[in-house]
Amino acid sequence: MVFHKRRWLVRRLFFNHEQIRTMSRVKRRTTHPPYWHVLKNNQRDDEKISSDNLCFVREVIQDKYKNKSPIKGSDLDIEKTVWDPKTKRSGVIARNIGVQHMWEKDGKKVICTVLHVLDNHVVRYVPPEEYAKSVIGTKMFKNRKPLGCLVVGAEAANPDRFTRQYCSLFDEVGLLPKKRLARFIVTPNAALPPCTPLTAGHFVIGQAVDVYGKTIDYGFQGVVKRWGFKGGPASHGATKFHRRGGTIGTGRDKARVWPGQKMPGHMGSERRFNRGLKIVRINMKYNIIYVKGTVPGPTNSIVQIFDTILPRRRFTEAPPHPTYFPPEDGTLPQEDIWDSSLHVFGSPSISV
Amino acid sequence: MLRRAVLQTFRQGLAQSFFKRYAVSLTETTVTHQPIETSNEAGERSVPTQKTGDESRNTVVVAPPEFRFMYPEFLPDPAMETRNRLREKLERMDMLQRRSVIEIPEFYTGSIMAVTVADANSPNKFARFVGICIQRGGSGLRAWFILRNVVDKQGVEILYEMYCPLIQKIEVLRLERRLDESLLYLRDALPEYSTFPLDMEPERRLNNSVVPINPLKVKLRPRPWLERWERQNLQGVEDLNLPQRFYDKAEKVAKPWEKYDLMLHYRKTIPAEEQEKIFAEVHSQLQQQELKRKLRRRRGPDNEQ
Repeated sequence: MVFHKRRWLVRRLFFNHEQIRTMSRVKRRTTHPPYWHVLKNNQRDDEKISSDNLCFVREVIQDKYKNKSPIKGSDLDIEKTVWDPKTKRSGVIARNIGVQHMWEKDGKKVICTVLHVLDNHVVRYVPPEEYAKSVIGTKMFKNRKPLGCLVVGAEAANPDRFTRQYCSLFDEVGLLPKKRLARFIVTPNAALPPCTPLTAGHFVIGQAVDVYGKTIDYGFQGVVKRWGFKGGPASHGATKFHRRGGTIGTGRDKARVWPGQKMPGHMGSERRFNRGLKIVRINMKYNIIYVKGTVPGPTNSIVQIFDTILPRRRFTEAPPHPTYFPPEDGTLPQEDIWDSSLHVFGSPSISV
Repeated sequence: MLRRAVLQTFRQGLAQSFFKRYAVSLTETTVTHQPIETSNEAGERSVPTQKTGDESRNTVVVAPPEFRFMYPEFLPDPAMETRNRLREKLERMDMLQRRSVIEIPEFYTGSIMAVTVADANSPNKFARFVGICIQRGGSGLRAWFILRNVVDKQGVEILYEMYCPLIQKIEVLRLERRLDESLLYLRDALPEYSTFPLDMEPERRLNNSVVPINPLKVKLRPRPWLERWERQNLQGVEDLNLPQRFYDKAEKVAKPWEKYDLMLHYRKTIPAEEQEKIFAEVHSQLQQQELKRKLRRRRGPDNEQ
């Protein structure tokens, strides 16, 4: 009895504040992009331009971007690289368009998130030697073998709304400027040439993916919602103490409030990865991926999808490497591919 | 100018996002006066399709206005934070797929229905339940309804998900409506209002065009009740015979201005134009399924002979 009491006391006296203190100093959110980004959105507002000139500008844009011949997998000079289990493939930018309920073959209901793979195109490939010299590269590959970086853009938009510097990022490649950009760390054998399209076919049915997104922004929240505190009693004479935090320190231990003390503040809008989500259905016609589980962020937010890093759910067989290309003989791929565990809606009812 | 604007290239997928948005405005500034139909944005952004130059000859399909009452689950949840046209369209396609396998008949709150579900724990692997529909809700594949019955003097309510593949059969034994949209007060009513024989036969309707409204006024048990029924404006309940203080408090707590709040009703419903679009999309398939079922029913007794 006495032995247990002593251990409890010891645990309370030597509460590890170190980890909380270091994490409390990390800046989790900014409202501005990093300093090396070029200015993106057009700053001019209401330029007085005549309708004829406006028409001319649009014609110029059309002529600049229109007359390109369609590309197939064979026209791009991708050497036939070999997949090995240590390959890191590119990821994909998608929009989380909501949640749909589906049923498994034994009648169990599953919640599936619907991810719409936008019109992704590779903008640039940065080889490992060059990337290791950049600001992020030096930090990332300090004691590691450097890897390459693929810059992928999604959601083409009118060049009018962007600055010239931003459009120049895409000019060398001849792409319409994209609203969203993302970097994917890839091994050199998974490199892709610029203008390669990435579609839902990049992924395989049944594989596990990691989805990165920014969580729902709840704004300034109190301690009960933000940290799950219990607050105070609703009645029994409690005076103005229903959703407050209560005590914030002992008075004895260091005699101050420790950094990292849980208090009200901004909640949400943070980078998070949901790992190991299984792909249960792919719709090739609309570029849709159904993923079992939920992803960070609200509906209609942009997420990034990668092959999973979880060791037991990684690929054992080669996926479409380096990415999926539609078959050259023009045969259309199967429009709607379902995982074997799911009940297909057009098939007869389940009888147990 | 219009024809060049309509040409699509695979290379950048710029066709869908760029030309769809700006082809219309381009032609507005040019001299041509051709009528241009803006294409239906629902779900067709990423699909490179071959558009013909002649878009103004589309025949417009309009579903009958009763569809919003017959098939309310095709309308999406009005909350703007979670709406997305593409996902709703895909969900509707899945719903139609399921409806091609099983007949989900038209029903309303107050109809008496029988549902057969696959059940592993049942002796013959199927469980059939008969009851009155007291509430229905949900949208899309999440649509549900609650059936209530009194079995061996015990009130039983079961919530069924309309598109669950375990459901084998949904029959409507008596199709009618009541004076209220929600019959939750049957829980506090005398048990005879919720009792229906489990071997009830489907009743034939004399007049197929109109769904009859049953003007039944239900008698409630003496208090205590599960909810404050006097505050809820119920039409299908007999006079509650409560002391005046209940009605006074109900008046104090009531929100009579809500019926004038246009924005509240706007936020709770899908606009009429969108409803028309949705049902027009779904109308032809539902009609085809109806026809196939009718043919099968006619052929059924003929085949037996």
